[in-house]
Amino acid sequence: MRMEPHEFKLTEEGIKAVLPPLEAEIMEEMWRRKVATAGQIYEVLRIRHPELRRSTVSILMNRLCERGLLRRSVDKGRGGMRYVYSITTTREEFEEKVVKSILDALMSNFREATYAYLSKMKK
Amino acid sequence: MAMLPVLIGLEVLLAAVALSELGPWPLLLVSGTVLLIYLWVSLHGGREYTELQRGEMPWLYDGIAEMAGKADLPMPGVYLLDEYVPTAYSFRNAIVLSLGLFEVLDREEILAVAAHELGHIKNGDTRTFPLLAYSRHLMAFLTAVVVLLAGPIAGAAAMGLLILHEILRARFHKEREFAADETALRLLKTPVSLKRALEELKYYEDLREGLRSSAVPSLEPGIERKQRVPIIDTHPSYDERILRILLEIHGNNMFNNRVQ
Repeated sequence: MRMEPHEFKLTEEGIKAVLPPLEAEIMEEMWRRKVATAGQIYEVLRIRHPELRRSTVSILMNRLCERGLLRRSVDKGRGGMRYVYSITTTREEFEEKVVKSILDALMSNFREATYAYLSKMKK
Repeated sequence: MAMLPVLIGLEVLLAAVALSELGPWPLLLVSGTVLLIYLWVSLHGGREYTELQRGEMPWLYDGIAEMAGKADLPMPGVYLLDEYVPTAYSFRNAIVLSLGLFEVLDREEILAVAAHELGHIKNGDTRTFPLLAYSRHLMAFLTAVVVLLAGPIAGAAAMGLLILHEILRARFHKEREFAADETALRLLKTPVSLKRALEELKYYEDLREGLRSSAVPSLEPGIERKQRVPIIDTHPSYDERILRILLEIHGNNMFNNRVQ
């Protein structure tokens, strides 16, 4: 399980800076719902992306499981067995991890400059 | 198919002649070992399935029952597999569908996949394929024994027979896949749903492949399962199958319409 981001895109907004755009949209929706099936997420996303296919959502949601942001489990409720996905972390916890990872990287690579800038920000 | 038993017979004969000085024991030992390994793997290598109860998904259960009736088959066991990658297969009189299928295909398309598996059952493939798997391992073991214990000429001949066996086995497998598709088309209420299912599965595979090739290895290692790349393909490509299905559904009209 790895939740920490490994890259940061300076030109992107919000969590799209650390996740590919569609995966970021899936996470936004998952943080709203907490638990959902790939089909439910597909129905929401295809309003914004009419060309989107079920396969894409399924692959990306499983990729988010690999990233440690989602958890996949088998639900044996009404309608038979199916996969349901749930969040492993809140949005706030994830953002905290992003900030921590970036600051850790800055501190180890540009310690003096980072200190100087942070102390300037405090003032 | 008729050539495959001939090749196996020739390989056994070759091994018997090449190893005649050692008596019948090497041959019996190899055959027995392969059989034991095969039986052990067959009995213990299975994955965890959950049998589908009608009440859970009546549309699927009834759909398969209807198609089985149409094919003069008893109702097969329908099992669900906890696997996120869409896949399906059959053994004896049973169909296995992965949960991943239910994420990427609609109901008609899932029934089309089940129809293809029913096609394998109807055409006797679920009896033939295990025999082929056994014969493949037997051929490989016999070749190894002949190469190791007999002279280079016998070894080369054994290798030649093994390669020929593999080529013919792959061709046979491909023919059976096409035949299962043809049977499925006859069983389905909406034959074109099989084409749609294959298109979606092809899209899934292509996207997965695309992600794998575009990903930075250190960043994106997990999503892809390790896949063995076979030297000789035993399955036709999705495109080949889709083309055959289109020809089956539209016949020559497909080309005539295009010309018009």
